[in-house]
Amino acid sequence: MRAFNYVAAGDIQQAVRLLAEHGSEAKILAGGTDLLADLKSSPHPPRMVIDISRTQGLGGIEVTDKGLRIGALVTHTEIMKSSVIQEHFPALVDAAHTIGAVQTRNLGTLGGNLVTAVPSMDSGPTLMALDAWVVLAGNSGNRQMPLTEFFKGPRRTALKPDELLMEIVIPAENIGKPVNFLKSGLRKGQALALVNAAGSLWLDAKGRIREPRIALGAVAPTVIRAPNAEKCLAGQVPTPEIMVEAGKIAAEECKPITDFRASATYRKEIVEVLVKRVLMHAHAQALKK
Amino acid sequence: MDIRLTVNGSQHALSVPPETTLLGLLRNQLGHTGAKLGCDVGDCGACTVIVDGKPVNACLMLAGQADGREILTIEGLASREQLHPIQRAFEEHASLQCGFCGPGVILSAKALLDENPDPSRQEVRDGLAGNLCRCTGYTKMIDAVLHAARVMRNETDHSGAKVEG
Amino acid sequence: MNKGATVEEKLHIAEQGLASENPLRVYGDTLPAVFPLELLVPEVRQQTPAVGQRVTRPDGRMHGLGQTRYIDDMAFPGMLYAKIKRAGVASARIVSIDTSEAEAMPGVVAVLTGRDVPVNSFGPSFQDQPVLADERVFHAGDGVAAVAAVSEQIAEEALTKIKVEYEALPAVFDPLEAIKDDAPKVHATESNIYARKVIIKGDVEQALAASDHVFEGQYRTQMVEHVPIEPHASIALWDANGRVTVYSSLGRITLGRADLARTLRMPINRIRLVGTIVGGNFGGKNEITQEPVLALLSKKTGRPVKGVYTRSEEFIASTTRHPFIMDFKTGVNREGRILARKIRLVLDGGAYCSWSETTLGKAAILSVGPYRIDNVHVEACVVYTNKTMTGAMRGFGAPQVCFAYESQMDEIASALGIDPLEIRLRNAFETGSISPTGQVLDSVVVKESLLQAARRFGWKEGGA
Repeated sequence: MRAFNYVAAGDIQQAVRLLAEHGSEAKILAGGTDLLADLKSSPHPPRMVIDISRTQGLGGIEVTDKGLRIGALVTHTEIMKSSVIQEHFPALVDAAHTIGAVQTRNLGTLGGNLVTAVPSMDSGPTLMALDAWVVLAGNSGNRQMPLTEFFKGPRRTALKPDELLMEIVIPAENIGKPVNFLKSGLRKGQALALVNAAGSLWLDAKGRIREPRIALGAVAPTVIRAPNAEKCLAGQVPTPEIMVEAGKIAAEECKPITDFRASATYRKEIVEVLVKRVLMHAHAQALKK
Repeated sequence: MDIRLTVNGSQHALSVPPETTLLGLLRNQLGHTGAKLGCDVGDCGACTVIVDGKPVNACLMLAGQADGREILTIEGLASREQLHPIQRAFEEHASLQCGFCGPGVILSAKALLDENPDPSRQEVRDGLAGNLCRCTGYTKMIDAVLHAARVMRNETDHSGAKVEG
Repeated sequence: MNKGATVEEKLHIAEQGLASENPLRVYGDTLPAVFPLELLVPEVRQQTPAVGQRVTRPDGRMHGLGQTRYIDDMAFPGMLYAKIKRAGVASARIVSIDTSEAEAMPGVVAVLTGRDVPVNSFGPSFQDQPVLADERVFHAGDGVAAVAAVSEQIAEEALTKIKVEYEALPAVFDPLEAIKDDAPKVHATESNIYARKVIIKGDVEQALAASDHVFEGQYRTQMVEHVPIEPHASIALWDANGRVTVYSSLGRITLGRADLARTLRMPINRIRLVGTIVGGNFGGKNEITQEPVLALLSKKTGRPVKGVYTRSEEFIASTTRHPFIMDFKTGVNREGRILARKIRLVLDGGAYCSWSETTLGKAAILSVGPYRIDNVHVEACVVYTNKTMTGAMRGFGAPQVCFAYESQMDEIASALGIDPLEIRLRNAFETGSISPTGQVLDSVVVKESLLQAARRFGWKEGGA
């Protein structure tokens, strides 16, 4: 690895101050599972690595009046072990479990997974299907935005050079919303998703689908929603047929690429199946409640 | 940069360049060559060490991040008098052929059994998913971990005989 | 007294070599029991007592303790670290290599190019591989220069300072393209085909014409890297007597020594190759790779030099398994008996021969499958392409052809409505069968194995 300078930020203010000071010369180190792999192969390493892995105020999982707050530094292992998340969102546990392996889950953070903004990330779809938003800390104060606006492209986010992802919030009204996540990879362990998908829905008093959400990974430059598929579900009686239909529409509206892992056609077919399944699982959860 | 850390119970204070990984520090500065460099990007698990009770890829952690932490490497597992039950089970099940992945696998198994003393076969598979092996295959390793777990729970002795009482 | 006699004898031997007044003494009570060696030598074709017993490995304890010393766990005083610059282009003429900036870097002790190599070619059967490419680049993983520095980091940095000017040449990547007459030639030869094997038995054309059904299919397999968890690693120490000691992860040190002697142009008795525990081989560590580079860097610097491949070098600069393109034409009668099989195998050899000849021969012989077929025609060739070289890997071509003939067997069974197990039993080798190359086979248990496997996984019951 090439030489760089290193500083460990004590708190968020110091971290954003350092970011402002060093600008594009700096890189944030959280879990390091992506950054270190990149640093080892990068021909242009950063001058400064700002270590936030022990920065105060970026951890913790808690329910506040705004919703479920997950600190950016929360590791995938912590998500899997959190009793709050296990209770309200088992899909988030499932999603975390599909990431890497024990060692990388112990290091890798939710914030890091989102900021790296790889289209196949496994953290994104479930959060997006729950209308989660992110809070960014900057020198001129904090700002927040929905996750859908945070992703700008492959490995690109709305973060400004002096900003830091602070926390992820699932809005209070969605706590306990039935949601399911599924992933299809070439192997069960340590595999990137060929496609991943999350679906959430409520059932209204008459048992019809309310606020359906479908989010897909690895089939577009960012994690995306499938608005047309959602539209076809809203207000409908949750039958297997309508879920099959939603899967077909979702497959139509996503834009996967062909690469060495899978062809676009194959990915669309997986989308069709995964969307149907996540909806069926979410519906089954809704019925239990 | 100055780093203080505990490795296998001994305290160390040293100064290394910031780009030093924990793996580099252990292998090159402290001479603990049990953790191996296999892929250098966190896929193979040959560099697995236990940091504050959790198995991590030492190739993906900067030495600076290990400052103040407690590290367990394969060298710290056995005592002068006896092997750790997992090491013994791996030896007796012939679970290590070339052995290069062994230290990482054994430490992953140790972390798993510390947390879950009675894992199912599937849980063992999951616990070892971050360690790639190309020679032995995983079956004998999983057998060994399950056997070691029984020994550590005092249900059997190393030969597999049931422990009475 | 028997025990005493042994002691006396040992003392006698010890004293011969020692003129000391305190000779080595061996006390009878501590002598180890004589190991009943003869009991462990198995009678031919008899089961050994080891079968069915749990065995432990003699090196297992060291492995489990993390105390086994692989190459990268060893260091010598004053040791330098070597890195090799990879071409990154598949086919090119090297116009110039400028190493001056790298040489001027603090911490860089020596730089090496192909021109510094006494005999810049090697290989286990054809010597077609340069140690470091000096005039031409044959594939993107070719080394073009090497650096020895006081740290790996400096060596890596120095590689970026080496300037190589290339003149791009046409390249060929598809083996079927490469066998065409007008294809760009990877090496300066008339054809890219560098080895061929033909097996003829009976009259294939006539038997095909007489068959009730003829099945044709093309089967392809991909390139596979061995991925030993331990990357290739070696340390070379050139000494003041002009001898070189190389500690290496190489699996075949005797062959490696001969290759080293050739490239260094020195007698084999001046080369000491020390093999250690290998962290996974699978055929990928059967030949030298960076060893001549390390030896010459050690000669140049007078210091021990270590080289460890990165994971990416494992993929681009070590051997891989041959991709095969296999055309099978098989004639069968109504009962599913195979009467004729005509096969064409095209092996993608990559840029260098390595163990391709061995692979080719084995693949050709085995391509017919473990079946009694009287009329066989196999034509197999291995072709140069501008890709990572292919070489030995477990099975030497056997797995690839097995994929083809067993795939076709299932297709035939399905088309004729015969149970896939049954069609194999009808055609399988028996004791006394004659292989395509004329070998009369003895102790054949193909049918027994198939039946036993089928019983174990419940074939008849529809289990899988």
